[in-house]
Order: sequence, then C-alpha cells, then structure tokens
Amino acid sequence: MRPGFFRGLVPYWYIAPAFAITVAFSFVSMGLSLHASLHDFDAFVGSTGFVGFDNYRRALFAEDSYFWLTMRTTVLYVIMSVFGVLITAVPLAMLCRRVPRGQAFFRTLYFLPSITPGVVIALIFYHLFGNWGQLLDRSDTALPALASLGVWAGAGYNMVIILAGLADIPPHLYEAARVDGAGLWQQFRHITVPMLRNTLVFVTVMTIISSFQVFTSVYIMTLGGPERSTEVIAYTIFINAFAVAGQMGYASALAWLLFVVVSFFVFLQMRIFRSRSVVD
Amino acid sequence: MRRRPFGMPALAMTAMILGAVLMAYPYIYMVGSSFKTRREFAEDRQSVVPPRYQVEQLLAHARGEESALDWPGADWPVWQNYVDAIRYGHVERYLSNSAIYAVIITCAQLFFNVLAAYAFARMYFRGREVLFNLLLATMMVPPAVLLIPNFLVIRELGLVDTVAGVVLPAFAGAFGIFLLRQFFLNIPVELEHAARIDGCGGWPILWHVILPLSKPALVTLGLFTFMVAWNMFEWPLVVLSNQDYYPLTVGLSFFRDEGGADWPRIFAASFMGAAPLIVLFVIAQRYLVGGISLSGMKA
Repeated sequence: MRPGFFRGLVPYWYIAPAFAITVAFSFVSMGLSLHASLHDFDAFVGSTGFVGFDNYRRALFAEDSYFWLTMRTTVLYVIMSVFGVLITAVPLAMLCRRVPRGQAFFRTLYFLPSITPGVVIALIFYHLFGNWGQLLDRSDTALPALASLGVWAGAGYNMVIILAGLADIPPHLYEAARVDGAGLWQQFRHITVPMLRNTLVFVTVMTIISSFQVFTSVYIMTLGGPERSTEVIAYTIFINAFAVAGQMGYASALAWLLFVVVSFFVFLQMRIFRSRSVVD
Repeated sequence: MRRRPFGMPALAMTAMILGAVLMAYPYIYMVGSSFKTRREFAEDRQSVVPPRYQVEQLLAHARGEESALDWPGADWPVWQNYVDAIRYGHVERYLSNSAIYAVIITCAQLFFNVLAAYAFARMYFRGREVLFNLLLATMMVPPAVLLIPNFLVIRELGLVDTVAGVVLPAFAGAFGIFLLRQFFLNIPVELEHAARIDGCGGWPILWHVILPLSKPALVTLGLFTFMVAWNMFEWPLVVLSNQDYYPLTVGLSFFRDEGGADWPRIFAASFMGAAPLIVLFVIAQRYLVGGISLSGMKA
C-alpha cells in the first residue's frame, strides 16, 4: 500500500455519514418502492408475489380506479393555490414596503403560520370553516376552503421572498421612469413586473410543488370528503399504504406516479435554485 | 423618503392592519377558546372573548362571594383546560417527545452536515463533483413522495415504531450541506493556511477556525432544522404506533378522534404546541427571515 493511502481516504470519512443518510432516504428508498410497486406488498408481511406492472395498470386504467379523480382534485387544488398566492403575496409585499412603520411587526405576524404546526392550523380552521357556514360539509366549497387555508398559511412566507425580490430592483430605474413621466401603473407594469419575473417564477414553482403534496389539512379536516371532493393524491397514497391491508405495492405505484408528475416542476425549481445561488 | 410612496402610506397601513387582523384571528380564536369551559364552547363556538364563567367566578371571588376558586383543591379555573390537557391528555409526554426528536435531529444534522460541507468546500478528492451533484439530486424527490419509500427502508432496518426510526432520515440533509458549503467557501483560505503553519491539522482547523466563523450559518440551519423537526407530522404518524412515542403533532391529531372531543382542551394543547416555536421565532427571527429569503427554504 502506498504511503498516504489512508490520508487520501479522510475526505470520504467526512462525507460518509451524511451521504449514506441522504442517499438511503431518497434513491435507495425510491428503488425499494419501485420494487414494492411491482409486487403484491403488505406493510407487515412483505411481498406476496410478483405482479409486474399490474399496480400501475390498476391505477391508470382500471374502471374503479380513483387515481384520475384524485389527480384532478390535486391539480384543481394546485391551480387555486397558485392563483391565491400570486394575487395575495405580491400586493402584500408591495404594501409592506410602503408602510411607514411597523414593517418588522407585520412581517413577523404574517410569517407565524409558517412556523406553526400544520396540525394546529388545521384544527383551528376546522372550527372556523364550520363557523363561517359549514364550508367543509359541502362538496363544492370544501376544496376551495382548503386551498384558501393553504394561501393564508403561505402568505407571509411568499411575501418575504417577494420582498427580497423587490429590494433587488435598483431604485434608479424608478427615478428614471418618473423623470420620463411614467405613472404608478406604468412603473409597476414596465419595471416591477419584469424585474420581479424570476422571483415570481420561483414562488409559483415552489407553490406548485408544495401544493401537489398537500396532506395534513385533508387528513385532519375532511378525510377526503365530502363525496371524495377533497381526496388529494398524497391522502390516497397514505390511505392505501396504511389503512388498507396489503395495498403497499399499489400505494408505491401511486407514489411513483406522483413522483413523475412532480419531477417536472422540481427540475424547473432546481434550475432556478442553482441560478439564484450563483447570484448569491 | 427616497421614493414616492405607492398610494398613500396611510392606505398601505390600513390594508396591512386589516391583513394582520386576518392573520391573527385564528390564533386569537385558539387562545380564546382554550379558556372556555366545554359547555361554553358548545353554546357559543363563535366568540373569541373568553371565559364568561371564569370571569364570573373571578369577580365573585373578588367580591367575597361564593366562587369556584374557593373550593378545596380547586385549580385556578382559567387554567383548567391546560392543567387537564397535561394531566389527562398526555400532553406533557407528547411535548417532551417533540422536544427530544427536535434536539436529536438538530444536533445530528449540524454535526453530519458540517463534516460533509467542510469536505466538499475544502478537500480535494476523486469524484468530488459527481458526489456533490448526486447529493444535490437527492433534494429532487419531494417529501410526500418519499413517505412510503422511506417507510420501506425503515421497515427493512427493523426500526418501525422506534425513536430511531423517527429521527434517522433527518440526520443529514442535502440542503443543509449546500448552505454550509456556500458559507465555508466564503471564509478566506488564508486563515486556514495560517493555522496550518501554526501546526494545526484538519480536525482542529474545522473546530477552531471554521466553526467559530460560521456561527450565523450554524444558527440559521440549527433553528430551521429545529422548527421543521418540531412540526413534522406525516413521518412520525407513519412510523409510530406506540402512543408513548408520539410527538405533539401526532398526539393532537388523535385527540380529534376520541369520542366527544373536548375541544377547549384540544385548543389548550394546540397552543402549548405552537407557543415554543412562536417564542423562538420572535427571539431569533433575524437569523431566519434572512436565510429563508436567501435560499427559499420552506418550513
């Protein structure tokens, strides 16, 4: 063995524990679930036989499959969330900058839901939505109610990100525009929006990714009801995996289908994430 | 003012205050309801003003009339829901479980992430770029997708329904390593060279030179990890079946199922679960808000 061989190994010892954990709980686990998705699989018994792509076929093509229904519900939730976030967070951030005093106070208050356990928020709104007209008991209002809860909870977080984006716009652009006689709307339309584009794309993509995964509010408040109107994909996966015996393989197949859908947006996010970090 | 205000500041102020009421209302509702008796809550679910009953008892006590406060062994009735939540609702145990998980995860995450980040920032070894990109790629699998897969790993390891099963997946994270590495890269190499000339090796340099300079990054990551760990719900829900190991979030979710849920008591427990983080956040927010807007972390 040549001298320095062990010293050459030192860096690998530094990264080994972190690397093992992160890889085990991402790639390895996805591999295991791919394996499980090709089997009849039970959480306690394990595999009870290879079934090929039957679980996928069942989710995608079977007559009694709820996959497309839950996917549709999830996408509806995502769309409502994105619109809700964009029409609240941008005005909030712009207003917050104009407030003569107490900016820090508002930022703190608006941010609270981001650091409150989702279970607690869901338990509170379970009652509030009841008080405001049984919103969760009707299949046409339950999903919008859940989406509005998501928007409420994310408002401060998104506001903080947009505030940072606004702060990066050089003030002289506005000064120049004013010298040229541009009004407030024109300044917003031709300076704020284009300069904020990357931030808005980032916020949108982050909202899409996190809304695709919504679970806690559904689990606490509606259990997917009424009439399956709030059964989102993450909830379906959970129920199949842990509430129905022997459906772990099917649930794994659903998880992989969700992965494929969300991956598209995650790729987008990674590209933005990297370009941002280069700037930083 | 440097820039002309968009509309009048007064208008902005009014709008922000309205928004603030909207943000605060659910919290006020939680706290207000947590002081109601069960009957008061059943009769009036809407109001946030507390505790007619308690106020009456208090006033009676002040006037020297007969009051529940004078009953032998009576607890301070205002706190009754909190006392009951702790005494009969296992909230004490749930809270300490939450704290234990959060502390273990935060310590482990800081330790392992620092080691990896230092190696990626300062050491040269074969495959460094490939390994780092692989590490970043682990961030691309979203948590909800990983719920079942990670359960399968924990199942293979025989850690279902154990403390280790809850905390192990959070022992390290690509995001934290990325954050720390960025920070380490900005520390001048000359400082390390100087330490090396003074006879310091790899480990002491990390310990005595790098870490003291990295306090802001460590505090940000530590606080952030702690908050995420305290709030985690789906993962412990999936891994645990023994009630003794539940963190508060999971415990709360089961309160709801118990027949004829005692809502004021649930709100009391909820408030106790949310309060520590709110206090922590208010104290340390300058570390958090900056870090969040910088990097797009999400609690």
